[in-house]
Amino acid sequence: MDVLFAADETRKTFANLGLWEKGLWYVLILVSTGIFAWGMWRHARKYLRGRSAFTLDRPGRRVRRAVTTTLSHSWIRRRDPVAGLGHLLIFYGFVVLFIGTAILAFQDDFARPILGFDFWHGWFYLGYSLFLDLFGVALVVGLGVMAVKRGILKPFRLDYWRPDRAEGEYDRKPYVIGDWTFLGVLFFLALTGFLLEGFRIAIANPDFEVWAPFGWLLGQMFIAGGLEGGSAESARLVTWWVHGVAALGFVASIPFTKAVHMLVSPAGVAVRDDTAGKVLAPIPADAKPEEVGYGTIADLSWKHLVDLDACTKCGKCHEACPATSSGYPLSPRDLILDLREQAEGAMGIRSALHLPPLHEERESILGDPIRPETLWSCMQCMACVEICPVGIEHVPIINQMRRRLVEQGEMDPLLQGTLETIYTSGNSFGEQKRKRGRWTRDLDFEVKDIRKEPAEHLWFLGDYASFDPRNQRVTQALARVLNHAGVDFGILYDAERNAGCDVRRVGEEGLFTSLAEENVKAISACHFERIFSWDPHSFHTLRNEYPQFGGTWTVLHHTQLLLELLEAGRLMPKPLGYTVTYHDPCTLGRYNGVYDAPRQVLAALGLELREMPRNRDNSFCCGAGGGRIWMQELKRDDTPRPAEMRIDEATSLGKLDYFVVACPKDVTMYEDAIKTSGHQGEIELREISELVLESLDLDTVAVGAAADERETNGKEPV
Amino acid sequence: MKIVVAVKQIATLGDEVEFTDDERAVDPDFLDYALNDWDSFSTEEALQIRDRSGEGEVVVVSVGDEDAEEAMRRCLAMGADRGIRIWSDALDGADPITVARALAEVIRREGPDFVFAGVQSADSVQAATGVALAELLGLPRVAVVTKIELGDGKAVVDRELEGGIVDRTEVDVPALFTIQTGINEPRYATLRAIKQAEQKEIEVVEPSDLGEPAYRVRRMYVPEKGAGAEMLDGSAENVAQRIAEIVKERLK
Repeated sequence: MDVLFAADETRKTFANLGLWEKGLWYVLILVSTGIFAWGMWRHARKYLRGRSAFTLDRPGRRVRRAVTTTLSHSWIRRRDPVAGLGHLLIFYGFVVLFIGTAILAFQDDFARPILGFDFWHGWFYLGYSLFLDLFGVALVVGLGVMAVKRGILKPFRLDYWRPDRAEGEYDRKPYVIGDWTFLGVLFFLALTGFLLEGFRIAIANPDFEVWAPFGWLLGQMFIAGGLEGGSAESARLVTWWVHGVAALGFVASIPFTKAVHMLVSPAGVAVRDDTAGKVLAPIPADAKPEEVGYGTIADLSWKHLVDLDACTKCGKCHEACPATSSGYPLSPRDLILDLREQAEGAMGIRSALHLPPLHEERESILGDPIRPETLWSCMQCMACVEICPVGIEHVPIINQMRRRLVEQGEMDPLLQGTLETIYTSGNSFGEQKRKRGRWTRDLDFEVKDIRKEPAEHLWFLGDYASFDPRNQRVTQALARVLNHAGVDFGILYDAERNAGCDVRRVGEEGLFTSLAEENVKAISACHFERIFSWDPHSFHTLRNEYPQFGGTWTVLHHTQLLLELLEAGRLMPKPLGYTVTYHDPCTLGRYNGVYDAPRQVLAALGLELREMPRNRDNSFCCGAGGGRIWMQELKRDDTPRPAEMRIDEATSLGKLDYFVVACPKDVTMYEDAIKTSGHQGEIELREISELVLESLDLDTVAVGAAADERETNGKEPV
Repeated sequence: MKIVVAVKQIATLGDEVEFTDDERAVDPDFLDYALNDWDSFSTEEALQIRDRSGEGEVVVVSVGDEDAEEAMRRCLAMGADRGIRIWSDALDGADPITVARALAEVIRREGPDFVFAGVQSADSVQAATGVALAELLGLPRVAVVTKIELGDGKAVVDRELEGGIVDRTEVDVPALFTIQTGINEPRYATLRAIKQAEQKEIEVVEPSDLGEPAYRVRRMYVPEKGAGAEMLDGSAENVAQRIAEIVKERLK
């Protein structure tokens, strides 16, 4: 079946192979795709063995998202445009060459022999040649970009340093070899492809092949070097086999190497849960202790097993994680890789890339290789989930493993004490329930008890805003602002409990459930239109997690309420003229996407906002989240704490008047960090409400003095 | 191995207090409730002994109204096998001896190898119930125990004395120990476990004969703040000088 020459431009395929050679080629294709299919089946079978997760709602939207994010590279390009460009070139190069091969296969194996229809000539052939030639070049350039990044620029995120292991305790050489092999194999395929084109052109050198410019250039070089005719013919034959076998080998290797991400990662994006980490799944009431959370590989949901394979080791989470960069024994990347090694060892393709020991499917992985201190280092700030280009859910995976630790009572005594305190007193400070509304006594007006009389707004305070002396000043400032604006609001007094946001993130789901039920019951008995809170943790959980317990209300953050009041002209601020920076709280920003309201309030107060390099979705956690504020220190001594790094970041912007926050835990963390980071006197902390109050030019002496006096008598928070 | 642990739901007080109209108790509005701290240690110790011996039963016993079951649930959630709650209206505000009588009646029936109680309760701080109970049961008792080692028909226990001295004592079994905090690390009872402990049995018993109360509360009040306190300020030198003057004055 030698190729018939068309009257116009085309070329011979199959390098003039004989019949048995062609036969051998098709056998190799079958072997290669067979190995590929077997490997992919092993992966699929692994996912099918996972626990059930959420339902895949709106499949059309999911597929659309996977396609558009893959084609646009919008997630891959974020915070690293160079690697994004490199990947884009490789991706489109690879895809176009793959489609080109598919077109050829369609023409040779289907259209012509079966339909008797030949389209691979004339203008189509020329366009095809040009296209594939250019995208082949794109592939090579893209590989070059990645090689430069990996080999010369060596960014932090690609260095494989593990914060949770000592030097010498781990070996990442297999990963490094895998990475370079992947680049090398792709480069080899592109190179042999171009050589093949060059040899082919050198044989007959038809003019129209100038439409494949780089191949043509190579061809001319070969001719100039004396390689043409018969010698070019044999060079072509050899190269054809080398290229072909390498390509088939690559296809067969896909399920067993990092190349599998080409298939699994888009799938991961498609099945991604938009609420992952933000809204955690309840534990069924009748679950047995061994069914609570994740303690073995067999416990993982199918989605989380997909996540493990989707990881490309790009290190964006490693770079974004506040725990990793401040010396805690946690890197979200290494956690995922450890789990992947275990999953491969227990349920699928046994990878060479692991550190012993591997555990059986139902053997505990907590302790080794997943160390408890790694899990407790997480601040559940969502920086990793938010930046992951392939939709990996590190935060809920960590949360599930914490649930198992809590179930087994394996947690640090400080945390255990706090949970017991919350259980007995309903708040993390161990204060009496009746003291919840004590802060109102310093005000010169009554704050409604919403249990007894209706109000337009129910103000849910949260523990820090209620009991911590510094935060009480903010709470009082906000109360005065709202009173001045004529806002009708009331509080729950003794009936308010800790909202449970951090209790849930610690992994004590039972206590969270009980707190949520009590709060939902108390709130449901009141008459109001909307809820607001200045604590983003309470705001988040009431807004997004209480619907699981029947609490469906309109919940606002106070910055949103303040903005409404400013826009409605109910607050008339005088311009303050300070220069400030603003820290986005994780639970307000990444969890709820509220980035603009606080900034608009600051603008309305006549403040000049200077943004820190890490702002909005890239905001850097203060270090308190995920219950970390209740635990003992786990980080190394030689790195500053996250909050201290953040103050350094702010003061590096030049002279600022205030470091502005909108979260009670931020008030606590950054008041401390300003003192401990050596920037005392350079910058001061203000919560937005305090600036609003100042801009109203009311007499603030009374509140401040009373609170100051109590602060000196008050006890330290838990 | 059967161990009975006597536990108590205690009241905790904030920095404000008001009394009931008859001035004999604190207004419940000013109280929160919790499991007595010592009792989580004695429960843990009982559980560890049971688990080490591989068989047996831990029974928690408490004197209190229905609300006290919350504290008992926590012990059950930690791993205790069942509970017995003793209550009659006559036990409202009862003194330690009366409480011990109520406990003794039930514990005698159970015939345990060991009886554990906390050294004291954090709210009334009398350290009397446990030792009174030993007397009523006719058991040898060791108070303020910080370590227990079981032998054949005997137990060797450490008890804490003043000034960090430890007294190692050998006692015959059965015996009663009052357990000191710090003897172990009490396990965490998850809320899930506490919920599931609702399925464990708590038997309610009414005591038959409580006898005469050992005392009655006549009045509760906040004592007058002591007058005559003098705050000293100024430099260290001035303060020292003033202290010296005061001491000399008082020694006259």
